[in-house]
Amino acid sequence: MTAPLENLETQLEMFIENVRQIRIIVADFQPQGQNVLNQKIQTMVFGLQEIDKLKSQVQDVHVPLEVFDYIDQGRNPQLYTKDCIEKALTKNEQVKGKIDAYRKFKAHLLVELSSVFPNELAKYRAIRGDERPSS
Amino acid sequence: MMMGDQFRKVEQYSPKSSPRGARSPVVSRQDSTGTLKTTISLGKNPSIVHSGPFYLMKEPPEGSELTGAKNLMAYYGLEHSYCKFSGKKLKEQLSSFVPNLPGVIDTPGIADNSSLRSVIDKPPICGKEILPLTSIQLAGFRLHPGPLPEQYRYVNQAPQKKHKKAHKKHKYKGNDSTSLEAMASDGGGDTHEKKHKKQKRHDEDKERKKRKKEKKKKKQKHSPEHNSGSGNITPNLQFSA
Repeated sequence: MTAPLENLETQLEMFIENVRQIRIIVADFQPQGQNVLNQKIQTMVFGLQEIDKLKSQVQDVHVPLEVFDYIDQGRNPQLYTKDCIEKALTKNEQVKGKIDAYRKFKAHLLVELSSVFPNELAKYRAIRGDERPSS
Repeated sequence: MMMGDQFRKVEQYSPKSSPRGARSPVVSRQDSTGTLKTTISLGKNPSIVHSGPFYLMKEPPEGSELTGAKNLMAYYGLEHSYCKFSGKKLKEQLSSFVPNLPGVIDTPGIADNSSLRSVIDKPPICGKEILPLTSIQLAGFRLHPGPLPEQYRYVNQAPQKKHKKAHKKHKYKGNDSTSLEAMASDGGGDTHEKKHKKQKRHDEDKERKKRKKEKKKKKQKHSPEHNSGSGNITPNLQFSA
């Protein structure tokens, strides 16, 4: 069984191809072409029916609205994906840097506090359980 | 040494050394050591923490398994996508994403009222059943024979391949002054060039022949036979004498 998105893509491609053929027929219309045109129009209606049927299968597909802006501006939507990935990676690196810095700070603080307040730190560790300076 | 001094200063102002000891000024407690102190926090998750000698001690927040310290790209299996998009340079145009789509799609959607945003802002009427057209309805699509009016003929018809070819030609020719119009009349330009080339060749041949003739003449002039034969003395010879 084909994936719902692939199915929809195929249907849309067929629909577009049908419309393209209608445009060719209409561009320089010949009287004998009326029957073919009528068939093509009916095919277009069937195509719309098929696409309408497929909408239930793609209900769970969420598209970010920003992608539409890219498409409306005639830009490649893959650029949006690229931008998102790069932003996510940058943010991930920033957060990792922060977490590492805080971890080091905590370890260093515990070392320093234990040298200045050894008794208090011993009590603190007793309460916290597993708090050990990991320098 | 510095740390020791600081420690002493801190100790002077610590709650233990205050006149009231480690006790809260309002509530009197019997426990002077402070080891039985508890912190009761209310709210969503009420809890009682034995805080010992520490004020404001709370339960540490639960550490979540997934944090920003992890490589989230690898965690969600998106490394392949990352390599795919970060490695190669993507083409800017929409047509490079959907190359099989006919017509011009790289222009802004607002220009020809085909933007996806407009579909969201003004959703079309839907919910009606889509039915095939009856023969009476199809009669509305009866067309007159003949080509489309000029204004509709070239709508969405600029083929991309042609454009690419023209671009290539432009590139290879290396002629900066050539415009699209010049490209259209390319055939004429070529014949003209050929003619011009032929003419050039013809001219060159003529020049070569002339040069040969002159050389011959000069040789004849310088040759001893020529001098003795003619009896004329060249001006050079006259001067040297």
